[in-house]
Amino acid sequence: MARKIPVALLDQSGNTLYASERKIYPRDVSGRFQSLRHVAVVLLLGMYYAFPWLRWDGRQAVLFDLPARKFYIFGLNFWPQDFVFLAGLLIIAGMALFFFTTLAGRIWCGYACPQTVWTEVFLWMERWTEGDRGRRMKLDAGPWNRDKILRKGSKHVLWLVFALWTGFTFVGFFTPITQLAARSPLEWGGWEQFWVLFYALATWGNAGFLREQVCKYMCPYARFQSAMFDRNTLIIAYDPMRGEPRGPRKRGLGSVLERGRGLLDQALAYDYVFRAAHHPGAADAAMHARGGTAFAGPGLKAEPLASFQAQELGDCIDCTICVQVCPTGIDIRNGLQYECIACGACVDACDEVMDKMGYPRGLIRNSTQNAIDGKKTRIIRPRIVIYGLLLLALCIGWAWGVTHRSPMIAEVLRDRNALYQVVANGRVENSYTLKIINKTVEPKSYRIGVVAGSGIELVGGVQVVPAAAEEVLDVPLTLSAPASTRGIHAVRFDIEAIDASASKSVDSNFFGPTQ
Amino acid sequence: MTDFTEPRFDHPPRSIAQRLGAIAWPSFFAAGVSTMAFFAFVDPLALRDITRPGLELSRELGYTIGFFMFWLATASSSLFTWILLRPAARFNKPLPPER
Repeated sequence: MARKIPVALLDQSGNTLYASERKIYPRDVSGRFQSLRHVAVVLLLGMYYAFPWLRWDGRQAVLFDLPARKFYIFGLNFWPQDFVFLAGLLIIAGMALFFFTTLAGRIWCGYACPQTVWTEVFLWMERWTEGDRGRRMKLDAGPWNRDKILRKGSKHVLWLVFALWTGFTFVGFFTPITQLAARSPLEWGGWEQFWVLFYALATWGNAGFLREQVCKYMCPYARFQSAMFDRNTLIIAYDPMRGEPRGPRKRGLGSVLERGRGLLDQALAYDYVFRAAHHPGAADAAMHARGGTAFAGPGLKAEPLASFQAQELGDCIDCTICVQVCPTGIDIRNGLQYECIACGACVDACDEVMDKMGYPRGLIRNSTQNAIDGKKTRIIRPRIVIYGLLLLALCIGWAWGVTHRSPMIAEVLRDRNALYQVVANGRVENSYTLKIINKTVEPKSYRIGVVAGSGIELVGGVQVVPAAAEEVLDVPLTLSAPASTRGIHAVRFDIEAIDASASKSVDSNFFGPTQ
Repeated sequence: MTDFTEPRFDHPPRSIAQRLGAIAWPSFFAAGVSTMAFFAFVDPLALRDITRPGLELSRELGYTIGFFMFWLATASSSLFTWILLRPAARFNKPLPPER
């Protein structure tokens, strides 16, 4: 007997406003872009998991020591006073994102975004335990038997172990990780436990379940990245001039170039895409690839396409593999969509199909809109130059600022309880607290002197105080002036490292009696 | 079964006043409540003393700065929510032609 054709009633019109999110089962694919992504995953996650274990000068190489309010990043250390450099780093990261988006599209999304990277790893584990797309769909649809429980169970065990390790590593960036490991897990403090579990839960939920929905519904970058796009930006694009009209065909039909059909006119090709998107063939409809909205202007009505002769067909065989591999479940043939994270899975998949058909590769390719439309791509253009120069200036400014930071901080606070005291011999005294921070990792000594007129002098003369590595010193100082001193006098404290590596002058005031 | 081949219902853009109101008003309200709750426990002058002791600042100015900082935060959040709730069709437009 013939196989049963899956038929189901579409929703009635009153019920279509709400469409529940269908689960996406990305099909496994290999190729150039997927290899690149694997390299990115290994590199980035390798950095994440390995960095806390690296040592530098006898301490953890990358440590954000929140209790001590100090950040260590390899040879650099940042104090709360250096917060401006972290802000600067964020601005540089933002500018770099603009620059690279304009130049090469959404490489951030496809290769570097933690959401994509961790989802990829979770997908690997899903494939090891549940198999590829078809088997996963079958497993989900099937009854809960021993095999399903074993497969699903082992997937979640893998996911959970990996997520917990991720949470542990995360906390290891803030608490020295070797101590954290030695104390694990029963002797962890309450907050350490909480953050390990919370970060593990976030990883498990985001990479295991939310996946592409984070990109589609939660990510702000997906919404504004198109503002940086122009026709010279690298995008993942389908070539409708070559591919349309799409359709299945018998083996042996050559590609459009071989059989001399050539490329379609641009307007005609896009019209075919528009109409095909609104009147999908059986294969497309079964894929649930949602109709594109890119060209669904109000009042535009898509007429169904007539069937084409084999000789008229383009190179797209409408196999829907490009839709099956897509981690966000879109149909790239509908044109550039904000849901596309530029992972290139469809490029690899289509290349594979083209190889099988004996057609040239690149029906879907990483290219610019200009190149797809047969025009010249310009790399140097005003926005590239402006973003590039800004990025360069910011990087140079940041590097200069970080390397020219003062290795010492000095602040003078006046005693707030009394403006002045008159001591036994009639002299007037003011009290100050000098705060010196030795930001270096070596012990230093500082010479403290005072420059002031009207006979104001430092009690005890010039002082030398030692400071241990990274020590914050509070030095009480007293200035003394003759009994006749009246009103406000400017004073200056000069603090200088004995080895002349740092010096700072701090201005303050000396108060005497008003009359 | 949901028909995924049809474009989803696409609400036409709302008027600018409606959009601005929906962002500014809830955030204004939330900022007002937060300001009241926050300054019921924290004296702006005490806050000044631990940050910028040298600053000449009255309580009224402290409350005002506090309120607008809260409003900035809540309005940014409202703006973000609005961007995320815009339908896909607002973003999925063809690339602009070259000048």
